[in-house]
Amino acid sequence: MIALADLQRCFAGVIPSIITTCSRSGVPNVTYLSQIFRVDERRIALSCQFFNKTKQNVAENPFANVELIDPLTFQTYDLDLRYAHSEISGPLFEKMATRIQAIASHTGMLGVFKLLSADVYEVLAIREVEGLLGPPTADNEADSEEAPMSLRTELRALSVVTERLRHATDLDGLLSTLLDALRDELSFEHAMLLLPDETGKRLVSLASRGYGETGIGAEVLVGDGLIGTVALTQQTIRISNVSASLDYGRAIGRKAQDHGAGAPAAEIPLPGLPDAQSQLAIPLLAHGRLAGVLAVESKSQLAFEEWHETFLDVIGHQLAIALENMMLRAEAEEAQAVTQTALPTGPAKEARVLRLCFYRNDDCVFVDDEYLIRNLPGRILWKILRSFVDSSRAEFSNRELRLDPTLGLPPVKDNLESRLILLRKRLEQKCPELRLVPKCRGQFRLETSCTLELTEKDSA
Amino acid sequence: MTTLVLTAELVEYMESGVSLLVGSRDASLRPASARAFGVEINAPDRTATVFVAAAGSETTLRNLRDNGQLALTFSRPIDHRSLQVKGRVLSITETDERQHRIQDRYFSRWSEGLIFTGLPQALLRRVRYYPSYALQFQLESMFDQTPGPGAGRTTSETR
Repeated sequence: MIALADLQRCFAGVIPSIITTCSRSGVPNVTYLSQIFRVDERRIALSCQFFNKTKQNVAENPFANVELIDPLTFQTYDLDLRYAHSEISGPLFEKMATRIQAIASHTGMLGVFKLLSADVYEVLAIREVEGLLGPPTADNEADSEEAPMSLRTELRALSVVTERLRHATDLDGLLSTLLDALRDELSFEHAMLLLPDETGKRLVSLASRGYGETGIGAEVLVGDGLIGTVALTQQTIRISNVSASLDYGRAIGRKAQDHGAGAPAAEIPLPGLPDAQSQLAIPLLAHGRLAGVLAVESKSQLAFEEWHETFLDVIGHQLAIALENMMLRAEAEEAQAVTQTALPTGPAKEARVLRLCFYRNDDCVFVDDEYLIRNLPGRILWKILRSFVDSSRAEFSNRELRLDPTLGLPPVKDNLESRLILLRKRLEQKCPELRLVPKCRGQFRLETSCTLELTEKDSA
Repeated sequence: MTTLVLTAELVEYMESGVSLLVGSRDASLRPASARAFGVEINAPDRTATVFVAAAGSETTLRNLRDNGQLALTFSRPIDHRSLQVKGRVLSITETDERQHRIQDRYFSRWSEGLIFTGLPQALLRRVRYYPSYALQFQLESMFDQTPGPGAGRTTSETR
């Protein structure tokens, strides 16, 4: 007896599935399906994006037949179905809608192309189609699937990751530890952690593995593309065939234009790998609040399965709580810290000159005419630099930044620590002559051997 | 009722190695699906012959022998351009040598069209599309099936 759970790979959409229905008057209709979701052991849900013949037929005659193909073995399966009901809200609908929204957003098709309903079907029978495939030959033996990870390996990895998270003492350490653990224990080679900025409208990548320097500081608007959609909807999205899914979105775009819709909005470049085939992004939620997004990618199709999603959800939950606790603890400890240490030596003389410019209209800092950073991290950097040059101060506390009304930080849970990490990393990459060196908790020191020249302008 | 017009461009698309899906139903209106490997269009007669592998199409063949109601969808993987025709089966025969050559040509073009999906060609070579049956049918209506608004719209009908 074949179980629906055994057909997981067929649902990934690498090879589109076929659905046949029949009208009350006996006319069959055959078409492709865009998305299939396993609801439980007896039911599947099909996405309905447009009112079409399939939808009309099952309203008249509930029976349907679906043909699925396993993209790794090419084995065909035949499913007899009976339409049960349609959902237009609730967890199943949200789950399917989010994935479609991510594809629509990426291809500039938001609004044109969205889930109308999640149509739930009862599975009456599953048959394996026999005889259509010849025996494997030597050249396709190599293509056969690798043994999936065993449950024991997964649980061991989960315990290792949890243990490593527990030992992290600061935010930077926590994010690095997590990404290292995911790479070492679960072979996630390309992973990125993004946290919301002070406006909550944008996510900024604060730690990454497998992207080189470009991984830090990458920005995504909430609502844009895969990661932005995950942040907006607070739903996990897994896409196993990125290029095919995007092609499907583009096909709808062309069709919509034929039917009088305007030109699609510009496509949003995917942050990360240009040739990713699988993507999985999960929201980090603590007490219903978005603490960030964890995104992993692979160049292989079908790299991520249902269990990866479940697994990362568990880790993501722990990470979100750890992030929250860490921020609350940092604020409490900083409140007791003593600050205002004078700089013993003052700025170095006769050293290289760094020309820094602050643009007031967008809080943007340039160094030697090159963009360095903007928004809150830009304002923080400028405050520090001004104090350094004007008052010869080199040591600063997080607490004084929090209390400074000109920086505009919210009174609690302000993500200051994450802004400082971003600032520190941007400096490492773009301006290593300026260093923000952490001291004890909640305090850091500006170090440089350069002479700083500061100018401010209203706009560029 | 407009006339179903099979332009040269349309016939070229239909015979170009695009994916072919056959739908049918039994006496109690239970539907069945099958993939087809190859098609030959006779535009002046408004008939077509589509080839299905014997393996996996037992229910489809039984349904079509019983009531002849057939739907055939053409879909090009690279841009999802899709078209569905509906009609009534005129004859079901075992394929001959000439038709095998059409199937071979179809299969190689269809496999090439799937390269971009990342499917290993070695895997596709395992597909046994022989022995097969030729389903000749009369085209009665045609529908635009490209996903998006307007999918399912009738492009033309005939009697």
